[in-house]
Amino acid sequence: MAACGQFRSLSSNFFTVLPLLTRSVPLSPLRLASKPYFGRTLATSSRLTAALKFTDKHEWIRVEDDGIGTVGISKFAQEALGDVVYCGLPEVGTQLAQQDEFGALESVKAASELYSPLTGEVVEVNTLLADNPGLVNKSCYKDGWLMKMTIGNPKELDALMDEAAYERYIRSIED
Amino acid sequence: MRGVRPVVEVVRLGLVSYPEALRLQQVYVDRHRSGAAHALLLCQHPPVYTTGLRHAPYPAALLDRLRLLGAAVHRTNRGGLITFHGPGQLVCYPVLHLAGFKKSVRWYVCELEKTIVSVCSRFGIEASTSPHTGVWVGDNKICAIGIHCGRYITSHGLALNCNTDMSWFGHIVPCGIEGKGVTSLSAELQRDVSVEETIPHLLDAFGERFDCRLTDAQTETDSRGSSA
Repeated sequence: MAACGQFRSLSSNFFTVLPLLTRSVPLSPLRLASKPYFGRTLATSSRLTAALKFTDKHEWIRVEDDGIGTVGISKFAQEALGDVVYCGLPEVGTQLAQQDEFGALESVKAASELYSPLTGEVVEVNTLLADNPGLVNKSCYKDGWLMKMTIGNPKELDALMDEAAYERYIRSIED
Repeated sequence: MRGVRPVVEVVRLGLVSYPEALRLQQVYVDRHRSGAAHALLLCQHPPVYTTGLRHAPYPAALLDRLRLLGAAVHRTNRGGLITFHGPGQLVCYPVLHLAGFKKSVRWYVCELEKTIVSVCSRFGIEASTSPHTGVWVGDNKICAIGIHCGRYITSHGLALNCNTDMSWFGHIVPCGIEGKGVTSLSAELQRDVSVEETIPHLLDAFGERFDCRLTDAQTETDSRGSSA
């Protein structure tokens, strides 16, 4: 347990202090140098595989270079939930069809179900969330990732929203 | 121009076992698939302890000890920790589709809390909310809340102590919060306040807070003036 704790604080320092060196951050160094950063928009990398796609249930998936998808919930979702106190995540090896329930997040005495954005197999879950579920609120696109999965059917990605479409979707809900 | 207020059907179940209430909630949850049909289930349970999504703090041995007291015990998938339900406690399960209200679980829970604060105020009791979800009178919890939400459809709900036998709570740390107590409408007012007396106030407050129209389901008990 102590070793885990040390690892946790080491890795979170690593992410916050040295963001440009981590592959999972979507910002590309080239883009940062050439354009000013505009507040609310997530900067997308010039590499298409690192762009976020969103579901209408406010989950995001980011396909990494190795073809594995990292899954989390959006800023809109974590705000609508409130402070997350518990993450119920699947076992590694779980087979999921698109839209299958894969877990739940608990906040304000409410358990909200999570739905798989794609068909695939769970290859990793974010064990940091066991001791630090608040990461889902504090860093929903980075340290608060929920699980990683294989992409069984890449065509399913086409049906998901890109960042611009998702921003429009949120605005339409908020009206 | 504002939209039409959502309609919520009030379903008075009377005294039902916990598993039966779960089964009935699922019926109403499933009903949402064929269009919005919000429901508000009202009932009382025979003595039962229930735990939520976080079941690790409650091993089988502890639950068995609670069974020896003569209560049923159930694990559930709602939020919140361990609590007790029993006669004299008004249990309310709103099965709403949040798309008809606001798609935020945090908002929904907050509105439930405000509804109960309003009910207490109608009885002349000053209740409040705190960082611990639920409704409090001072340091004592008068109403517990524990919700489940899947595809924006809510289930589980709240439990307001009217004239509950509070001694059942002595065997658990209610909702996992040490150092706080529990109370009831009767304990606060020093007179008997029944579930029957409380229901109309709850329905009024709910209709107001959620800005919805409540209708009564046509059930057999209705014709004789139902008691929940």
